[in-house]
Amino acid sequence: MSGYRMVGYAAGAGLVLLGFAGLLADADQTRPLSWAVWFGGILIAHDLLLVPLVLATGVLTRRMRRPYRAALVIGAVITLVALPMVLGFGRRADNPSQLPLDYGLNLVVILAVIAAAGFAAGTLARVREARPPRPRG
Amino acid sequence: MVDKPALTEKVVFTSGLRSEGVAARLGALLGISFTLALITGLFSHFMQHPPPWLDWPSRPIGLYRVTQGVHVISGLATIPLLLAKLWAVYPKLWQWPPFRSAAHAVERAFVLLLVAGALFQLFTGLLNIAYTYPWSFFFPAAHYWTSFIVYGALIIHVVTEWSKVRRSVPVPLEPARRRFLLTIGAASGLTVLLTVGEAFAPLRRLALIAPRNPAIGPQGLPVNRTSQAAGVRPVDASYRLVVTGAVQAEYSYQDLVRLPQHTVELPIACVEGWSASARWTGVRLRDLVAGAPPDALVTVESLERPSGVYRTSELRPPHWNDPLTLLALRVNGETLHLEHGYPLRLIAPDRPGVMQTKWVTKVVVS
Repeated sequence: MSGYRMVGYAAGAGLVLLGFAGLLADADQTRPLSWAVWFGGILIAHDLLLVPLVLATGVLTRRMRRPYRAALVIGAVITLVALPMVLGFGRRADNPSQLPLDYGLNLVVILAVIAAAGFAAGTLARVREARPPRPRG
Repeated sequence: MVDKPALTEKVVFTSGLRSEGVAARLGALLGISFTLALITGLFSHFMQHPPPWLDWPSRPIGLYRVTQGVHVISGLATIPLLLAKLWAVYPKLWQWPPFRSAAHAVERAFVLLLVAGALFQLFTGLLNIAYTYPWSFFFPAAHYWTSFIVYGALIIHVVTEWSKVRRSVPVPLEPARRRFLLTIGAASGLTVLLTVGEAFAPLRRLALIAPRNPAIGPQGLPVNRTSQAAGVRPVDASYRLVVTGAVQAEYSYQDLVRLPQHTVELPIACVEGWSASARWTGVRLRDLVAGAPPDALVTVESLERPSGVYRTSELRPPHWNDPLTLLALRVNGETLHLEHGYPLRLIAPDRPGVMQTKWVTKVVVS
């Protein structure tokens, strides 16, 4: 093993240990049990729920045109990022400037624009395919 | 040595979009993004918890606004990159046999920490800026310590995989895989476009899914901590600003109004990534503590009930000496709204919003 690798492994392991030591030292704030539940829970939700769902969608949309699939991927990502605002659990009656927008409506508008763009790109691709190839000369 | 694809990869995971080249490119981008997050995150942490020997400069006035905006917005932009990368290497999760050797088992344990930690940082970070806290830990502490776990595991992963990156990144990608990366890039770019306006006012109309709009709030400015949350009621004529310690004085509200007033344009830059500029009018802090020793520490205290974490904030010499640092009485040409800290609030350049104390009633010079 080269010196660079050793230094890298040592630095990496040191930082990991520092992180765990800090988590435990600050237990009154980090609540290691709650932390562990979320640390493991998000991983399990991703590996055993989200990815299989994505894989299944991928199989179901196998024959879909590429621009449509791209629009689906982009729309899904934006939905995921927007979801906490759409659900609005962070709203506070005494603070209207916190989550001030109509996020549900905004998301619908954004998804409509993404769908329209995907449809336009798909139509364009179909028109191009239908065109007979130019004779070379 | 090239890993031979396991049987599961051939039979179950049929997508031709996965390849070492795709994973390596996404990995390189994630490495850059997490490095940026670590640097800007540590900057924010040590600005709020400076060691005794470290006096942050008070200029440029918008530095914290930029670093924290980058921290949060680039974090959001990383979500599609991370999901795409994990999808691209997902078959490896089910490799058989799971451990080829003790060293391989250790390597995979660090990969588990890296994946769980990266997902944890981004997912809890997203919920945090949406003011949703379905956990019992204090987010800043958990986020801070987890960043070391993630970055340590990331270094180990980079060392392990570096040869693959060097081998496959120079090789051009096939069109279909390039299109896949472009799609992920578009998702990242669109995420930025739809949120960055919470910090970058010219794009605020596009910030359709951002938790804040820099122009929405009392007096055209967002509020973070409300008077209700802080347990503060409007003050009456008995209000006094007390200066104590190395400098001693007492001012009524009218006294403060009669002192020389200065107007400055400064941003409120929140640790959650949003920021908004405003015109503040008030008394220079350095005028109020005139005669203090040059290395003095100045602490401002709020009317907020004693339990608040951010009830007081400390100013080191670069900040309290800065002519732009005010105890403000007005914002955008109006008397401060109670929610912005009436009667008096601190506003200083290049400083996290949680340290711009509202409802100031005491200044301690030590």
